[in-house]
Amino acid sequence: MIKTFTQNDLIRYIYQETNEQEKSDIEEALLFDNDLFETYREIAEVTEELNRIDMCPSDRVVNNILNHSKNLNLHSVK
Amino acid sequence: MNRNAVSDKKLVSAYIKGNEEAFELLVERHKNRIFTTINLIVRDTYLAEDLLQETFIKSIRTIKSGRYNEEGKFLPWILRIAHNLAIDHFRKDKRYPTMVLEDGSPVFNALEFSEDSYESVQIKKDTDIRIKQFIDELPLVQRQVLVMRHYMNMSFKDIAEVTGVSINTALGRMRYALINLRRKIDLSRSAYDKNFYPK
Repeated sequence: MIKTFTQNDLIRYIYQETNEQEKSDIEEALLFDNDLFETYREIAEVTEELNRIDMCPSDRVVNNILNHSKNLNLHSVK
Repeated sequence: MNRNAVSDKKLVSAYIKGNEEAFELLVERHKNRIFTTINLIVRDTYLAEDLLQETFIKSIRTIKSGRYNEEGKFLPWILRIAHNLAIDHFRKDKRYPTMVLEDGSPVFNALEFSEDSYESVQIKKDTDIRIKQFIDELPLVQRQVLVMRHYMNMSFKDIAEVTGVSINTALGRMRYALINLRRKIDLSRSAYDKNFYPK
């Protein structure tokens, strides 16, 4: 019998927080349940979009960090 | 030797022994991820840069004073520092800073995105800015869970503990965040199509 799954289950599956049995059950359900698959596809697409965000700090800040490290005496920090 | 193949653990060990180049590699490797995480929480590029600096300074002091626990992983550890500093800032300030232009739109132009070829830069920037804007518009509790799970790679169990809610509540907030984002993305695509392919 195919089990039913919620959106929360799909989110746990996408973020790899299901155990092996749940993972296998969800993958089986995705094969036969079109609505579940459509929901999965929609959630997965959003998570893909989230991966696109990659912001970069300015060189000035990065240099400040590196200089701070170089200037800090190894034994003076307590 | 491929420098990217060197693990964070080895780089931290080398840094503890005084190798500044190892630290430079750690910064180069993780600066964008940490900066993105902070920026998505505070929604202010300049403040995010200040907090990024504070985060690394805190980590430098911890490592150089011998208080770094080598059993832990570097990235989750430093992301936790970054997150705490960002949240502390909210607690102190009790406001959510957002820099806006005269027309009320958020200032994103100051952001420097990682870039590929020139041709794809503008499209990528537009899309990235749009997605970031959608995240900024989410209610704080949803944005917080989204950032913790997606960008900090924290489990829902850990998020529930840190935010003082049940795992189901944390999952529910994530679900609403993703549904809201999906809706915003669909609306924006539909607006884009109407502009470029008018009937």
